[in-house]
Amino acid sequence: MSLHSGIPDAIAADVKHGERLEWWTLAWIGSVVVVMALVMGASQAMKSAVIEDVLSLIPAIVFLLSAHWERKCANSRFPFGYRRANSLAFLVAATALLAVGGFLVYESATTLVRQEHPTVGGITLFGHTIWLGWLMIAALVYSVIPPLILGRIKQPVAKRINDKVLHTDALMQKADWQTGLAAIAGIVGIGLGWWWADASAALFIALSIIKDAIGALEQAVAELLDGTPRALDSNKLAHDAEALIAALKARFGDVDVRLRETGRYIAAEVDCLPPTTIPTEAELMGDDRAWRLASLSFRPD
Amino acid sequence: MRYSFALPVAALLLSGCDSLPRDAAGTTERIERTHAMRIAVLPGTPNARPALALLGTYAREHSARLTLVSIHGEHAHKALEDGEVDALVGHFAKASPWQADIALSKPVARGEPDDKEHPVLRIARRNGENALILATDRLVARAAQ
Repeated sequence: MSLHSGIPDAIAADVKHGERLEWWTLAWIGSVVVVMALVMGASQAMKSAVIEDVLSLIPAIVFLLSAHWERKCANSRFPFGYRRANSLAFLVAATALLAVGGFLVYESATTLVRQEHPTVGGITLFGHTIWLGWLMIAALVYSVIPPLILGRIKQPVAKRINDKVLHTDALMQKADWQTGLAAIAGIVGIGLGWWWADASAALFIALSIIKDAIGALEQAVAELLDGTPRALDSNKLAHDAEALIAALKARFGDVDVRLRETGRYIAAEVDCLPPTTIPTEAELMGDDRAWRLASLSFRPD
Repeated sequence: MRYSFALPVAALLLSGCDSLPRDAAGTTERIERTHAMRIAVLPGTPNARPALALLGTYAREHSARLTLVSIHGEHAHKALEDGEVDALVGHFAKASPWQADIALSKPVARGEPDDKEHPVLRIARRNGENALILATDRLVARAAQ
């Protein structure tokens, strides 16, 4: 049981898996950004999609950074270690998600208010001039596939290692493929002469992204304010935290129990004299989640 | 969510491949209906003839003829944006300050100059009139071959 050092063996393989998934994310989404930038032309919808894809790399980057820092040992300058890097990364990732949603709302609302008519002309390839919209749609179809696959693979890993950054990244991937589909609908709409279709579809998606982002932001702030551990996908208390409070109360009577979360780890504080036999993590959390309990302290008064 | 987008998109793609894109303000249909394509030439354009020839070809393909509209240079871009003319012929730089407000073609009868600030003969179209824009882009590309 240690609040200060490294990644427990029980989740080391899954954290490695998460890191590999994030490297794949950087490579795939990076390639999507390049392809989209090549065909974006003067389309505002495509520009927005490219900017959104660039922003969507932030959770992957901060996950990799926080996992790197989490492994570092405590030292005299950081005596409590670096595990809280994950909490900070979660705040950054949630803010990035909110930025994507806010940016899309701004772009689509201004397009609708100004009644901008998007222009998508022709491009000459190998002697043939074709509508650039077809290339944009092909690029967007490509852009939808990686986040759809990666997002689904990341969710169970995020759950196993209780990583809110990875979970927020999975939400970002959901935002990615949804905005990709919205942009395809928008390009087809432009092709049909419906100048408002693109912006309306993006606005609809943006509102759902903002809802997810605000939820994640509430959790991130709660974690940084030493709130009781929250669930991965909502601001409700985490089930394992509630179970731990119940287990501690069952063992030590009706005493005050405080839990807080440092990254993915729980620190518990019980208002009673230290018992002669300290219960193990597995006794309190169960074998699967024993790694979550990093610290248990007793306050006699 | 996924299916709500995918199904209409797939249906549209299958049914409308040939007819895309269309004009947001229906310029092509109006040209076909009125048999007239309204063109303005920016004052001071040294030789607008290659561009006018391309637009003449476009007009003939749509059973229309060119109607030259006389507009003061200062008002020409606004007239195009407002749909008072269908195309504007003149010298524009690739990095023209009007670039976002109107749809500029590639240079007519010559290659793209290295200097983005160097004005060359181009056809300006109204933003969003994507059928007209694609059709004239094709003519400009064909003329360049």
